[in-house]
Amino acid sequence: MAELLIENLSKSFKGAISALSGISFGVADREAVFLLGPSGAGKTTTLRLIAGLERPSEGSIRIGGRDVTRWTPGERNLAMVYDRHSLFPHLSVFENLAYPLRVRKMSEAEIFARIAAVAETLQVERLLDRYPSQLSGGQMQRVAIGRALVREASVYLLDEPISHLDAKLRAKMRVEFKRLQRDFRATMLYVSHDQLEAMTMADRIVLINRGRIEQIAPPQRLFDRPDTLFAATFIGEPAMNTVPARISEDGGIFRLGIGSSRIPLDGEWVRSGTAISPSADYVAGIRPQHVALAAPGEAGDDIVRGRVFAVETLGSRIIFDIEVEGGVFRVVATVDVGRLHPRDIGAPIAFRVDPDFIYLFEADGGRTVRQARFSEAVVH
Amino acid sequence: MAHPDTSIVSPDAPPVQRNWWVYLVLAAVCVINFLPYLWMVMTGFMDNATATGQSPQWVFTPSVEAFRFLIFEKGIMENFLNSLVVSLASTFFSVTFGMFCAYAIARYDFGGRDDVSFWVLTNRMMPPVAVLIPIFVTFQTMKLLDTLVGLIILYTAMQLPFVVWMLTGYFRDIPRRYEESAMVDGDTWFQAFRKVTLPLMAPSISATAIFVMILSWNEFAFATFLTSTEAKTLPPAIMAYSIGANISWNVLGAAVVLVTAPLILFVLVLQRQLISGLSQGVIRK
Repeated sequence: MAELLIENLSKSFKGAISALSGISFGVADREAVFLLGPSGAGKTTTLRLIAGLERPSEGSIRIGGRDVTRWTPGERNLAMVYDRHSLFPHLSVFENLAYPLRVRKMSEAEIFARIAAVAETLQVERLLDRYPSQLSGGQMQRVAIGRALVREASVYLLDEPISHLDAKLRAKMRVEFKRLQRDFRATMLYVSHDQLEAMTMADRIVLINRGRIEQIAPPQRLFDRPDTLFAATFIGEPAMNTVPARISEDGGIFRLGIGSSRIPLDGEWVRSGTAISPSADYVAGIRPQHVALAAPGEAGDDIVRGRVFAVETLGSRIIFDIEVEGGVFRVVATVDVGRLHPRDIGAPIAFRVDPDFIYLFEADGGRTVRQARFSEAVVH
Repeated sequence: MAHPDTSIVSPDAPPVQRNWWVYLVLAAVCVINFLPYLWMVMTGFMDNATATGQSPQWVFTPSVEAFRFLIFEKGIMENFLNSLVVSLASTFFSVTFGMFCAYAIARYDFGGRDDVSFWVLTNRMMPPVAVLIPIFVTFQTMKLLDTLVGLIILYTAMQLPFVVWMLTGYFRDIPRRYEESAMVDGDTWFQAFRKVTLPLMAPSISATAIFVMILSWNEFAFATFLTSTEAKTLPPAIMAYSIGANISWNVLGAAVVLVTAPLILFVLVLQRQLISGLSQGVIRK
């Protein structure tokens, strides 16, 4: 085991396409860090640079304190699991697992003992004589993970190892992974585009977009305190509502305009930190969970009125898409609450915004200007 | 511990429809293809009188007269040996060199890569006759006329474009990931190539080798012009021995048996490999 340190890593491909620019982050010994981002963000490129399969244009990679930037993949002592094509089709499961050990000229007895141990942990003992073409997707990925675990690598690199499995199997593998991570206590860098995987399994998440790091934080912090508009909207399902907004002040009370409503804000919250100008454009963000449907008769400054745009029924919850001036707002309600409200398209509907859960972002640049006011201690 | 929900149960494939007329068509094709060859083989076992007779005879007393003439009087086994050496050697060299060329074209992006692969293809388009004279002169200058080495060099060069073209496609079908996995596991590039890529390529490489071997074995034009006594291969030898003032049909037939028998045996033994190699890229993914 060892720690991994990436400094100022950049990579541009032929034709001046910059895939990565100035990526820096660290993975502590025995920590599970997730590289999360949309497809094309540069996650896999980062992983390939760390593995030594590509040469960085700039920057350095340190593993266990040693600069390995110019080392060959074989010298770096890493283990890598791909989304597919991880197993050699011409070798049996046993030989696939033995491959990295044979490269290291390990004795047959030792190879046998290690494979037996890993096969037991991953529950693939009865598959050892089979060939990859005879395995199901889940079995194949389990063996692929075994191929990585069978030797003591400094860092384990996982490139969406379970993304191509069907949903049910993926949920099962996520749990297995958590257990494995606990048992093996490995330094792990995991690439994923699936926020659910990252949120449930990561110690820390490196959120990456267009070859740049947006934010590095533990999962819950990333959700509660996003540094950028991208981080706020990428994490969370359904995604955070965002509307162009302006802050106005009348009689010492700050108000946020959404649609035709003027929602009163906490004065201290507005005044703390960088100055907020009434003439500047902002983007307000509110998670669908933090918006409550209001009864038709209710009145108040914090009520926003609109019309039903679409309704999605999810069994236990109902998602209302409500059209207000300036955009569509998504509201999540439990099915019991949702039933009390109109669900016909075009029907008038109202909701209440809790000012403690409003985020404020720069309209240009997307940096967070104000984090939501709620304190982490009382949330959820 | 059982995992009922991780094992995948696949239903049987639907039964393939069998149409009797398919066999009728196949039988017709086989007869049309095979009859001339059968007639040639039969002629080989006739004596000179029967072979040159006015009316064709389906029933006759077999004779090995033509074979005896070819083997003992003309020493055709020497030509047979020449053919064997030339085709085996040129197959070995063209497949070995071609494999690395194809790998480079399939895996690496280098300046002029597309030009190289286009040039390789256009080499195949050129009619061999067009370069016959220049090559003759070159061989004369380099003292390669009527030598096995000369033929081996020429055939290797002739077959190389075909090998590169075939294998480039097959290499592209093998995901790069396999080599990369092996390299991350600690192999050098060459170890990964030898232990992972090459075994996966084996069926495709042998199919290509069989093709190249057949082409070299049957090559006629260059062999005729560039060899005379020492390095004459089978195809020009057959012409020399059977076609003079008049055509000795039974000698020609016997020679055809000698030249095709090894190929037929070869393909019969390797046909499984040949078919799986040819369909390699189609079935995997």
